[in-house]
Amino acid sequence: MRKIALHGALTLVAAAVLAGCAVGGGATGPGAAGGRTTLTFLTFETPNLNASYWDAAIARASAKVPGVTIKKLVAPTVDRTAYAKQLDASGQLPDIMIAVKPDGFAQAGKLAPWTADELADYVVPKANPIAGKEYVLPYNTQPTPLVYYNKADFARAGISGPPSTYAQLVDDAKALKAKGINPFVVGGGGQDTWADMYPLIADVGTDVYAGHPSWLADRSAGRTTFADPLFVGAVRKVSALAAAGYIDPAGLSRSYADTEQAFRDDKGAMYPMGSWFAASADAKPPAFGVGVFAWPTDSGKLVVPAYTGGGLSVSSKAPDVALAKKWAAAFMEDKENLDASVKADGSIIAIKGYTPPSTMGPVYRATVDLYQQAVQRNGIVNAFTVESGDGSLPPGVVDKAALGMQDLINGKQTAEQFAAFLDRQWTQATQ
Amino acid sequence: MRSAPKSPGPHPGRGRAVRGLGHFGALAAPGLTLYVLFVLVPVSMTCYLSLTNQNPFNPPTRYVGTANYTRLAHDPDFLHSLRNTAVITAVVTVAANLGGLLVALLLDRAGRLYRALRGVFFVPVILSAVVVSVIWQALLTDDGLINSMLRTLGVDHPPGWLSDPDLALWSLAWIITWQVLGFCVVVYLAALQGVPQELHEAAALDGADALQRFRHVTWPMIAPALTINTVMLLITGFKVYDQVQVITNGGPGEGTTSTVSFDIVHTAFTDDHIGYASAMATVMLVLVALASVAALRLLQRREVTL
Amino acid sequence: MNHPALRRLGPALTATWLRPLVAVFVSAVFFLPLYLLLVNVFKPGDEIVPHPAALPLPPTLANITAVTSRPDRLFWYGLINSIEVTALATTAATVLSAMLGYYLARCAGRWATPLLVLLLCGLMVPPAVILTPITKVLNAVGLMTTVPGLVLVDIGYYVPFGVLVFMGFVRTVPVELEEAARLDGAGLLRTFWQVVFPLLRPATASVVVFLGVWIWNDFLNPLIILGPGTGTTVTVGVYRSIGEHQSDFGAVFAFMFLAVLPVLILYLAFQRQFVKGLTGGAGR
Repeated sequence: MRKIALHGALTLVAAAVLAGCAVGGGATGPGAAGGRTTLTFLTFETPNLNASYWDAAIARASAKVPGVTIKKLVAPTVDRTAYAKQLDASGQLPDIMIAVKPDGFAQAGKLAPWTADELADYVVPKANPIAGKEYVLPYNTQPTPLVYYNKADFARAGISGPPSTYAQLVDDAKALKAKGINPFVVGGGGQDTWADMYPLIADVGTDVYAGHPSWLADRSAGRTTFADPLFVGAVRKVSALAAAGYIDPAGLSRSYADTEQAFRDDKGAMYPMGSWFAASADAKPPAFGVGVFAWPTDSGKLVVPAYTGGGLSVSSKAPDVALAKKWAAAFMEDKENLDASVKADGSIIAIKGYTPPSTMGPVYRATVDLYQQAVQRNGIVNAFTVESGDGSLPPGVVDKAALGMQDLINGKQTAEQFAAFLDRQWTQATQ
Repeated sequence: MRSAPKSPGPHPGRGRAVRGLGHFGALAAPGLTLYVLFVLVPVSMTCYLSLTNQNPFNPPTRYVGTANYTRLAHDPDFLHSLRNTAVITAVVTVAANLGGLLVALLLDRAGRLYRALRGVFFVPVILSAVVVSVIWQALLTDDGLINSMLRTLGVDHPPGWLSDPDLALWSLAWIITWQVLGFCVVVYLAALQGVPQELHEAAALDGADALQRFRHVTWPMIAPALTINTVMLLITGFKVYDQVQVITNGGPGEGTTSTVSFDIVHTAFTDDHIGYASAMATVMLVLVALASVAALRLLQRREVTL
Repeated sequence: MNHPALRRLGPALTATWLRPLVAVFVSAVFFLPLYLLLVNVFKPGDEIVPHPAALPLPPTLANITAVTSRPDRLFWYGLINSIEVTALATTAATVLSAMLGYYLARCAGRWATPLLVLLLCGLMVPPAVILTPITKVLNAVGLMTTVPGLVLVDIGYYVPFGVLVFMGFVRTVPVELEEAARLDGAGLLRTFWQVVFPLLRPATASVVVFLGVWIWNDFLNPLIILGPGTGTTVTVGVYRSIGEHQSDFGAVFAFMFLAVLPVLILYLAFQRQFVKGLTGGAGR
C-alpha cells in the first residue's frame, strides 16, 4: 500500500509539473485573441513613476486605441536597457518599451523606425538618429545637469546670486567651504554609480561640446581620443574641485535617492542634477529656497547639456507593428499622460502645441525658463554619456566611466589616467 | 519526471554493492537527465560560445579560436574580478569557519536560552542576498547608522565602509560572512553534540586542560563538519553576484569589488559580448572545478588521518 | 589556538555566569541588522530616517497593509508563484536526489566517484553563467516561460546538493536492512521507498530546508525563465519594491519581511530534524 501511495504522490507531482498549473498573475500569451491584440509594454518604477502612475497612463492610451490589450512588464531595477537585453537574449523582447536605449537593438533590426510623418508633431524629430532613422519617440527634453542650489547657504556664505562664469563658481565654492558648508553634493553609491557623472557631463558640455559639437563623433571615427587636451582639460576641472575638497567623497556611498536626501538635509549647497529634480523640489519643498543655474562656462556664455528622447520604441517583431505604433503614439501624445509626466518627472515636453499645467511650481518654471534661454542663445549641447544614437559611447563604457569617476573624485586617478582609462574601455567595448 | 513505472523485480544478487542497468534507469536516470539537460548541456554551449565572437547586435557570429582567451589574459578588468572573487572566497571561508566554530563552542550548552540564540544566528541564512544587502547598505553608508554611532562615540572621521576603495571589498566579505555564519554554527554544533561525553571525561581524568581536550578530543571529531562548511563556503564565494550588484555596482572606482559573476553578466548584457563573456565563464568553470576537487582531497585526507 | 588570550578564555568560559553573558552579548551584536529590519517594518515611514534604531512605539501595521493591499497585487501574485514553484521543485528535487544519492552510494561501484565529482562541479556553477544557454534548451523543448520549465531547471540545478547530502547519509544506514528486505522478495524501488527513504528523514529535512530557501530566494531564474509576462515571484517583487520606493525603508522592509515569513516558517517546522541530516553523514 505504502508503495502505491508513494508512487501515486510522485505521479501527482509529475503530472502537476507537466500540466503547468495556473500561474499567479499570468495571462494568455501575446497575440491576437477574439479580435483584440495583446501587446507587452516594458516600464520601470521609481518613487515618482510608481505602479499606479503607469497603470493610469496605460489605461488612458488604451481607451484611445480600440482592440489593444496591454500587458505591463516591469523591469526589476531602474536599468531597463540591460533587462531588455536579457529578455531579448531569451527570445522575449517586449513589443513596446519606454526609455530603453535603442543602440544595438536598432542596428540589429529589432526595432521599428518611426517615419517622418509619425514624428511631424515632435519639436526635435532628428534627436538621436541611428543610420538616419529614429527609433525612440523624442517626447521630452531633460537638461542634464543644471545646478540646483540652496539659497540659504548661499546667503550665509555672503554670495549674492548664482555664478555666471566658471571662475565665480570656484570662488563661490571657496566661500561656502570657508563657512563650513560643503559646496557640491555628488552621489554615486550602491547600484547608482552613474550619479557621480554630473560634474563631468557639465564640464564636457561647456568645454568640449560647446565649441566642438561633433567631438564624440570624431572620437567614434577614430579622429581623436580622450587624451585630447580639450577633453582632459574638462576632466581636470572635476579633479580640481575634488582635490580642493569641494566635492564630498562621502557621496560616493550614497545611492541616487540618498543623494537627493543629502541635498534636502543641507549636506551641501549645490546639487548638479538632471531637470527631473525640479518636480521633486516643487512637490516636496525642502526647508530652504531652491534656485537653479546652468553650470557656467569660462566666458560666461550660457551652455546647457540636454538630452531629448526618453519615449517609446516598438519591436519590429511585435504581433501587429502598426497597431503597436499607434498605441505608442497615443500613449506618448495623450495630454493627461504628458501632464502626469511633467508633474512626476519634471519633463520639458518636446511635442508641438503642448503647454504644461499652470499649477507647476517655481523650481520647475525656473528650470524651463533657463532651458528656453539656452535654446534662444543656441547654447544647447549633448549630455556626455547620456546621449544615444550614431556616434555615442559604446555600450558598457558608460558604466565603466562612472567607476573611473569614483577614482577621480577619490583622488586615486588623475585626469590623464581617467582619459586613458576611457580609451582602454572604448577599445575593449568595440573589439 | 517520474520514476520507472514498475519495480525491476526480485534481485538475485547479494553483497554490498548492487549493480545493474535497470537500477540505473529507475534510480539515477531521472535526476541525472535533468542535470545533464539543464547544467551540463548549457555548460558545453558556453564552452563552445567562448570560441566565437557572438554579439547579438553585431552578427554574424564567427569562430575565433582561442582569441577570447588571449584577450582575457591581458584584460585588467577581468584580472581584478578574479582577484576580488579569490579574496572574497578566501576571507569568507576562513572567517565563517573560524567564527562559526567559536560561536558553536560558545553555544554548545543545553537549555532554552542557547536554543533561542542558535536560532538568531541561523536567520540570516534563510534571507535572500538582496534583503541582506539592502539592510547592510543602510547600515554602512557614510551617513548610515554605524557611522552615526561612531560619531556619537567621538570618532570624527569614521571609515567610508563602502566609499573607500581599500575598504569596500572587505565590507562585502564581512556582509557575506555575516549571512553564512549561522550555517557554520549549526553544522559545528551538530558535530560537537556528536562528540561522546565519555571521551571528554577520560581526557579530563588524564589531566588534559580545556584547550588540550579541544585539540585532541573535539577537533578530530568535528573535522567532517569543517569539510561540509568549506565546500558550502567555496560554493557561496565563487557565486557572489547580488551583493556586488546591490551594494557597490563594482565600485568604488575601477576593479575594486567586481566579481567574476558580476563581470560575466555585465559583459554579456551591457557590453553585448556574449562570446567574450562565455570565455570568462569557461575560465571560471575550470577554476571552480579545480578548487572543488582540491578542497575535497585536502579535507578528506585530514579525515582519514584522524 | 595556542594564543594566550584564548588560553585564559577557556577556563573563564567554564565560569557559569560568564558564558550566558558572552553568548547573549555576541548574539545581540549579531542580531542588530535584523533588529533594524524588524522594528522599522512597524514604524511610520517618516520616523525611520530620523530614528532608525528606536522601538516602534506605538507599532503600526501601515507598511504591511500598504504592501498587501497594492492595487496591482504584486505581493499576492508573487506569493502564489513562489509557493507553487518552491513546493514543486523542492519536492521533486529532494526525491530525485535521494534516489540518485542512494544509487551512487549503493549501486554505482567504481562509477560513484567520477559521477560525484561531475555533480559537484555543477554545484559551483554560478547560475548567471549558464542562464542564456538554459533559455535556448527550454525554447527547444517548448517549456520557456512556463512554470514546468522553471521547475525542471531548478531540479537539474539543485540535484547535486541533494545528492551530496543523501549520499553521505545513506552510507550510515546499515546495508543489512536492505538485504533483508531483498531476501523477502522486495524489488529495488520498493526497498528504497519502504526501507531506506524513511531512514533518511533527517537528511530529507535538511535538503528540503536548503532547497526551499534557495529556490524561494532565487531571483535571476524566475526573472528570465518565468519571464515578466508569465508572472513574478516574491523575491523579484522585493527587487521591484526597492526600485519603486528606494529610500522609503518602511515600504521596502515591509515587503522584505513578508517575503521572508514563509521560509522562516518552513525552517521552524523542520528545525529539529534538519541539523541531524546535515552532519548525519559526516559526523560518524
